[in-house]
Amino acid sequence: MMAKKTRTVHRHHSLHCADVFSHICENLDADLDSPQCREIKRHIAGCPDCTALLDSLKKTVYLYRTVPIPTIPASSRRKLYSVLSLETGRRLK
Amino acid sequence: MKTVSHISDGELIERSRTGDTHAFTQLVKRYEQLVYGFSYKVCRDKEKAEETLQDTFINVYRKLSQFNGESKFSTWLYSIVTNNCLMKRRKRKLDTEMVSLDDPPVSDKHEQRTIPAWTDSPISSLMNSELRARLDKAILKLPMEYRVVFILRDVENQTAEEAAKILKLSVPAVKSRLRRARLFLRKELNDLMVE
Ligand SMILES: [Zn+2]
Repeated sequence: MMAKKTRTVHRHHSLHCADVFSHICENLDADLDSPQCREIKRHIAGCPDCTALLDSLKKTVYLYRTVPIPTIPASSRRKLYSVLSLETGRRLK
Repeated sequence: MKTVSHISDGELIERSRTGDTHAFTQLVKRYEQLVYGFSYKVCRDKEKAEETLQDTFINVYRKLSQFNGESKFSTWLYSIVTNNCLMKRRKRKLDTEMVSLDDPPVSDKHEQRTIPAWTDSPISSLMNSELRARLDKAILKLPMEYRVVFILRDVENQTAEEAAKILKLSVPAVKSRLRRARLFLRKELNDLMVE
C-alpha cells in the first residue's frame, strides 16, 4: 500500500494524487507522524493541486465553523418551557 | 449544599427520573442551546430549529428511563435530534431538493487537472449575507445522512466513534460520508472562493 521510500528527486511522484486526495479528505487536521503521513506531507509540499485541495477543504470547514449561529430566541424558550410544563404536568421555569 | 452548576448530568438525570422537575429544568437549561444550535445547523431555519428543540426535549423526558449512562448525555441528545431530523425529512419528502451522493457526481478522484487556489483574503470579511446564503444553500443540498455527519464531525467536534454511535453507523461509513460531504461542499463554494 505504501510507496517504497526512494531517495530520488521525484520522490513525491511515488504517491498518486488520487491516494493523497482521499487521505486529505479524511484527515484534514490530523497531524500524524507515521511514515505514510510523512510521505503524504512530502507529496503535498511538492504538489500544487494537493496543496490547493487541502487548503480549500480546510477553508470550507472553517467557514461552516465560523458562520454565526443564532442563540435561542426568547419566544422559542418560552414555548419550550410551556410545552414541557404540559408534558410533565408541572410548571417549569 | 451543592450549587446547581456543580451537579453532574448523571445526578440531574437520576433526580429527573424520580419526578424532580427542578432537576429536569436544570438539565434542559444546560443543553437547550446545544440542541437548538445543532438543529439550526442541520436545517438552517429558525422555525424548524424551534420545533426540533421542543420535540427533542419532549422525547428526552419520555425516554429518560432508557438512557443507560453508558454514553455521554450529549451523545444521546445528538442521536435524538438526528432521529428527529431524519424522520421529518421523510415526512416532508424534501429529498427532491437534495443531490444524491450514493452515486457521487463528486468524484473522489482527481476531477480537474488543476485545482484552483482559494482566496487568502481574510475570510471574516467574506462573512457577508451573500456568503451566508451560499453556505446555507450548499449544505441544504447535501442529503441529510451526509449533512449530519459533516456537522457532527467538523462543526460540533464529535469524534468519528461518537458520530458512528449517534448515527448507528460503522466508523468507516462515517469517514466515507464525511469525505464526500467535504468534497461536495468545497465544490459548491468553489466559484465564490477562487481568487
Ligand atoms: Zn498531488
